[in-house]
Amino acid sequence: MSLFKAEGLVKRFGGLTATDHVTLDVDVNEVHALIGPNGAGKSTLVNLISGLLPVDEGTLTLDGVDLTGLKPDQRVSAGLSRCFQVTSIFRDASVRDNLLLAAQAYSGTSFRFMGNRDNDKALLDTAKALADRVGLGREFDSIAGALPHGGQRKLDVALALAAHPKLLLLDEPMAGMGPDESARMIELIHSLRRDMAILLIEHDMDAVFQLADRVTVLVYGKVLTSGNAEFIKSNPEVRRVYLGTETHA
Amino acid sequence: MSTNISEIVASLPRASAHEHQGGMALVWKVAPWVLLVVLAALPWIAAFAGAEYYVGFVRRILIFMLAVAGLNFILGYGGMVALGQAGFVGVGAYTLVAMSDAGFTSAWGMWIAATLVAALVSAVVGLVSLRTRGAYFIMITLAFAQMIYYVSVSIASYGGDDGYTLPQRPALGFGLDSANEPTLYWVVLAIVVVIFILLNRVTCSRFGHALVGARDNETRMLALGYPVFRIRLVAFTIAGAMAGLAGALLVTHNSFVSPTVIHWTSSATMIVMVLLGGVGRRWGGPLGAAVWIILEEVFRGMTDYWHWPLGVLLIFLVFFAPKGLAALADNRAKKKFSKAGAH
Repeated sequence: MSLFKAEGLVKRFGGLTATDHVTLDVDVNEVHALIGPNGAGKSTLVNLISGLLPVDEGTLTLDGVDLTGLKPDQRVSAGLSRCFQVTSIFRDASVRDNLLLAAQAYSGTSFRFMGNRDNDKALLDTAKALADRVGLGREFDSIAGALPHGGQRKLDVALALAAHPKLLLLDEPMAGMGPDESARMIELIHSLRRDMAILLIEHDMDAVFQLADRVTVLVYGKVLTSGNAEFIKSNPEVRRVYLGTETHA
Repeated sequence: MSTNISEIVASLPRASAHEHQGGMALVWKVAPWVLLVVLAALPWIAAFAGAEYYVGFVRRILIFMLAVAGLNFILGYGGMVALGQAGFVGVGAYTLVAMSDAGFTSAWGMWIAATLVAALVSAVVGLVSLRTRGAYFIMITLAFAQMIYYVSVSIASYGGDDGYTLPQRPALGFGLDSANEPTLYWVVLAIVVVIFILLNRVTCSRFGHALVGARDNETRMLALGYPVFRIRLVAFTIAGAMAGLAGALLVTHNSFVSPTVIHWTSSATMIVMVLLGGVGRRWGGPLGAAVWIILEEVFRGMTDYWHWPLGVLLIFLVFFAPKGLAALADNRAKKKFSKAGAH
């Protein structure tokens, strides 16, 4: 059964149809990768799913809940969480404060006006656990903006994990990473799939074929084809539009 | 809103970072209490020095501190450059005028009512204006304040342009005589201190951190599941309520109000006070309000062209203390600590 389903999504920017009747589903504990050349509309699709952009047509459901009309924060409560292609963290704050803020969002109301947040033991424990989970335990007191690129990407993932998502959207988690950092990120994503379904947008084909149960290829806003790694690797059409030029990138 | 504001807005105050170390930290910890004692003793000091005028003068500063601290809360911590706070000061002031005109006499009742009415009006204004960003937000808050200004000008029964003089000061009850200048001073001081302490607790609370998060990275806050709009709206309403209470206190203080307090230049002056004191700094609001009003008073005594030196001061401020006076003290404290750490 599919946990998440996007049906007939359409998004137009003026005359350009950035997302053209895209239908996509993700099963429980599945890693579903979304690939496609630059400008294929991958990031638009992520923004439609997470609610940062309104859809023109189509529906989204997650675990039986209709997400289509929900605001981004309501989608998070429904179990959908995301990372950003361009790292989106609180750069001037420490890793601790970043994760405290993320933990607070999940732990109930933020309309609490008294009581010093920094004395909240439960929040701090959650923040520490999140840091450990992505391997930032030792950088807990560092300023987020001063972390190396890979560390900032990990923090971005940790922020998304705080919401205990049923479905995690990873928008190019390996972007700009060296081979070592990439390997560690692959390991991390691999460890996450036990607890959630993942929709992975990624350029790094090695990573995609290592991680994905299924791969969907997006071209000019449309789904070109979808299938398991072997099927995609051997699909001549996919090779033509995409893989042929980037296999050894 | 976050892009260009982030340049103006100083980073989160990290007062707690240096609270444990060195003698300087002790000074900063004790200073507010010393200040409070001095302020509480001011009426006696003034009477001794034969300068009773200054009781009223400092009372006016305290009232502005309240409104400006509220503005600093949304501007500094929330990243919302609201150019209409004087409008809410006016709502509070004219609520008291209207009630007094209708025969109410209890100061406490009218102050509370003025606060609530200003909260309500600012919530409505916020509902509309917080849907916009950046320059549009500045313009729309200004537009609302100007609407309130023209309403106040047009109400003939409250004096219109000429303003309205209270027949007598509202009564304080509890055996306190509001006509006694020091008594009213102490009441205002108590209110301002209590609200300032409460506001500082809010900035350290869950809500305060969420507000700062929304200032720093709105997109990520949405992705974390925060209802950013509602958080901003509540903060905006708190600041509006504080401005409204300040307005009601101001009428009580002067026994007079005119639409001038609502004019947009008053809103702009409040923003300047925040910038002067330190955007997003705990003491930024009170410090800015105090320094500005004192300088205004000093320059006014020296020359008719008192706007000139204040303008020059602003230029100096932009170049030499872009983060405000509170940040200056902070930097000096930090330098001291690094020296101490080297030993």
